[in-house]
Amino acid sequence: MKKMTRGIAAFAAASAVVLAGCSSSDDAETEESTAPETSSTAGGEETAAAAQDLTMWWMGQEDDTTKMFREYLQETYSAENGGELSVEYVGWGDAISALTTALPDSANTPDVTEVGNTQAATFTNVGAFLDITDMYEELGGDSLLQGFVEAGSVGETVYALPYYFGSRFAWYRKDLYEQGGVEVPTTLAEVTEVHASLKDQDIAGFYIGGQDWRNGISWVFANGGDIATYDGSSWTAALSSPEAISGMEQWQELFETAGVAQVTDTDEVFNAINDEMLQGLPAAAQMAPNWAGCCIGPLTGEDADGNPAPVWDDAVNGFYALPGADGGVAPVFAGGSNIAISAASQNVDGAKQLMGIIFSDEYQTLLAENGFGPANTEFGDIYAGLAPQNEVALETAESAKLTPAAKGWAAIEEQQILEQYFQAVAEGGDVTALAAEYDEKINQLING
Amino acid sequence: MTTPAVAPSRLDDSPASSKKPFGKRILPYLLLTPALLALLVGMGYPLGWQILNSFREYGLAQQFGQPPAWVGLDNYITLLTDSFFWSVLIKSVLFMAVTALATVILGIGMALMMKAVSRPARITLQVAMLLAWAMPIVAQMTVWNWMIDQRNGLLNYTLSWIPGVDMIGHNWLVNPLSFFAVASVIITWASVPFVALSVYAALTQVSGEVKEAAALDGASGWQMLRRITLPIIRPILVILLLLQMIWDLRVYAQIELLQGFGSAGDRYDLLGTYIYGMGVGQGQFGMAAAAAMLVMIFTIGLSWFYVRELLKEDD
Amino acid sequence: MNTKTSTGKWIGSTAAILIALLWAFPVYWMVNSSFQTTTTINALTPTWFPFPGGTMANYKAVLDPSTGFGTALRMSVMITVLSLAVCIVFAFLASLAISRFKFRGRKSFVLAIILIQMLPAEAMFIAQYKMIAELNLLNTVIGISIIYIATVIPFTTWMLRGFVAGVPADLEEAAMVDGCTRFGAFMRVTFPLLAPGLVASAVYAFIQVWNEFALASVLLTEDASETLPLWLRDFAQPSAYGPIPWGQVMAGSVLVAIPVMIFFLIVQGRMTQGMVGGAVKG
Repeated sequence: MKKMTRGIAAFAAASAVVLAGCSSSDDAETEESTAPETSSTAGGEETAAAAQDLTMWWMGQEDDTTKMFREYLQETYSAENGGELSVEYVGWGDAISALTTALPDSANTPDVTEVGNTQAATFTNVGAFLDITDMYEELGGDSLLQGFVEAGSVGETVYALPYYFGSRFAWYRKDLYEQGGVEVPTTLAEVTEVHASLKDQDIAGFYIGGQDWRNGISWVFANGGDIATYDGSSWTAALSSPEAISGMEQWQELFETAGVAQVTDTDEVFNAINDEMLQGLPAAAQMAPNWAGCCIGPLTGEDADGNPAPVWDDAVNGFYALPGADGGVAPVFAGGSNIAISAASQNVDGAKQLMGIIFSDEYQTLLAENGFGPANTEFGDIYAGLAPQNEVALETAESAKLTPAAKGWAAIEEQQILEQYFQAVAEGGDVTALAAEYDEKINQLING
Repeated sequence: MTTPAVAPSRLDDSPASSKKPFGKRILPYLLLTPALLALLVGMGYPLGWQILNSFREYGLAQQFGQPPAWVGLDNYITLLTDSFFWSVLIKSVLFMAVTALATVILGIGMALMMKAVSRPARITLQVAMLLAWAMPIVAQMTVWNWMIDQRNGLLNYTLSWIPGVDMIGHNWLVNPLSFFAVASVIITWASVPFVALSVYAALTQVSGEVKEAAALDGASGWQMLRRITLPIIRPILVILLLLQMIWDLRVYAQIELLQGFGSAGDRYDLLGTYIYGMGVGQGQFGMAAAAAMLVMIFTIGLSWFYVRELLKEDD
Repeated sequence: MNTKTSTGKWIGSTAAILIALLWAFPVYWMVNSSFQTTTTINALTPTWFPFPGGTMANYKAVLDPSTGFGTALRMSVMITVLSLAVCIVFAFLASLAISRFKFRGRKSFVLAIILIQMLPAEAMFIAQYKMIAELNLLNTVIGISIIYIATVIPFTTWMLRGFVAGVPADLEEAAMVDGCTRFGAFMRVTFPLLAPGLVASAVYAFIQVWNEFALASVLLTEDASETLPLWLRDFAQPSAYGPIPWGQVMAGSVLVAIPVMIFFLIVQGRMTQGMVGGAVKG
């Protein structure tokens, strides 16, 4: 309910912005100036370039917030172009097969599509998307989240741009920390120490799934390691680098001395720190996405039907960015997606116009106001001001890293190579030997 | 071979056929035409594409416009020399054997039970079968996963009621053998209704008179089953067993969904997920096509005995 | 009937009911969970009964017009009815041909429909997409039905062939002696005996088509042409901004299963009729 009212309020605000745009307030001026430029690239065919009906694919399913986004884009696009914009939703699980079949088919391709940031590289490398390097500057340029831009680029050529980001950080239980007499850790080593101490006292532990590489990879990043490196022509797995190995050893130590999760756990459980979520020792902290706050807290509330529901309690619950190896913030793996124009699109002018709308100040504001990490970091302040955890989310997202923008990355994810690697390490295996083994597996696939 | 108590369908080459020679000759083809056309329209192109591309290098790049190169038997050779392909194949065959056999035996048992019990009990059993069958696959797998969940699953919870047993925290999906056992149980559970209801339908075809006659001759229940009932429903049983074998060998959705619950990696793969992963997951469509063709060839080999039996019965 | 068999029957019936309950337990658990909140579902101790404390919120949420249940239901019903009707008629005719006639090419046809089923479909969807796109039938009932029909026909033909073969041709001939035409004899004698087999095959084909989602996700890309399994999958997939609402997934599953049950109830009557007919004629 709360979410919905918030959505409506934001929609009202957005409509106000649109209206303001019509009466040419200076806020809209910047946008107006980019739009004609876009259509001018279409040459002198101003008359013909008008009114193109577009199809856009979005991942996931519609809820109140995305509905508002959709309506905003549809109204604005109709107003600017005269054509209709239809938005179709594709489930994340069906995304690869649907994109693989439809993108090359010029008669049925979506003109603009969202694509998961780890899938983007696979499609950009086979030429599925239109080269939009010429639009890069006008759509935000270096203000756009660079990790995502890289994922959507091949060399200097830009194909897919960031759409929104999500971030991850540590959520913890103040009461359990207090009970064990520990403080919020400030270095990565302290994360292990603090929770090992809690575990020794039989109070609680740290919850991180054995297969949860999306959170666990931060330990590698924080120690200066990487999954793979690019030499300008091909990718090479880098799990065996000394930095990556020390990161994994640190993670293994955490899992063994302070962990309360199973070796097969994934990142599916996001509220493990709630009471009664785990058998045996509870979790005092865990890594979870920025939206996890929805469902964390003591079960003191009631939902519409009178069932107990978690309610956030500042006295009990808290969060902090995962600290780096020597303090500061550890780079996390950013979730989120990219957006691109299909190379087979028959409506390139309209599609470019739509990109202009998506990266306009108004739409970026709308995203930020509704809790979607905006692609353009200039709007980060709005997002950060929304809720205290967004501030941390933004902080971590700015230092976020993505998976290698390699052609074969989707295959590596599909085969769950990293899940297996992390599980093997969690089971207590020798990190150096395992790293070499999995480097080899990654190398077989990463260059496609 | 025992002679069935009832003569099998008389094939229409009886004396009567001389009456309307042309009409008679053309009739079976007319009857076949709609089905053949539907098959040709719906399957022809995809099948041709699959066969063609099993001999080409067809990956994501080709899908996006690069011309595919002919590679002859390369895809097949790569697969056949890959020990992993063989290990998946062997696992799948074993999985299929256990699951198909369990399904058919349980299914026959259920059908005989339906036939033997009172009407309310039969209806209850039929409804239960259908309920299980009607459950969407996503729900089937989710619910079963909950039931065996290590943290709050009913199975561990209930097992731990037994004094001295503490199963809480036991993950049934880690050990690959345990993973496949769980998958086999779930698939058997979901496939038995079809077999049970089909066999039951076949049993209703066995006429009461034949059985009464046999009973008068002093046949026991077991003899009746073996000598009279089984031969009559034999065609259906052979078909059902063959179908289960085929389906269990290429099972995909259930394994894919079960893997999604935390069993990461190719050691939990069977042929269906292996081919899907190769095609959609890694974009190696040519290889996936070759793998699919190989699976078909192996299936033919494995089931040749039954297929021949089936064709022989027709003579 | 003597008392000895009726005692046996009584024990058998009790056992049958126990097995039935055990078999249906996962279904019960689906229904039970559909009345629970995500918190209760995730709780450490299982909640065995939906009431008291159950919630209708999941049903309210999935039936909200914005989720498109109505559209998906209509689409699913149209696709299933079309596929099933065509498939059953075609397969029935074909099964007659191969079980009641001897003709050149019969064996090849039987072999072909067996082989087709042995081909894994997991590698074919690109070709299926290309074909349907070329025919300009993406996102249409007819487009996906063309493939579904071809997928289920081999199985249905084959099953029906077994059932037709199970009905002795003698019976028909006896009726013909009584003055029926061949066709009349077939309709009067054989067809009623086939009804249970037709029903079993039809139910199978129905569920096969009703639950299919892998191909549907490729051929039906517009939200307006979504089928129920796709609609259901939307709930069960992780999203970037919230947890999976398992209670809603279960409520959706119950709703998807209900039409199957209705279909069964309709054909169940036919099944009994067929049995009665068979008993009379046999």
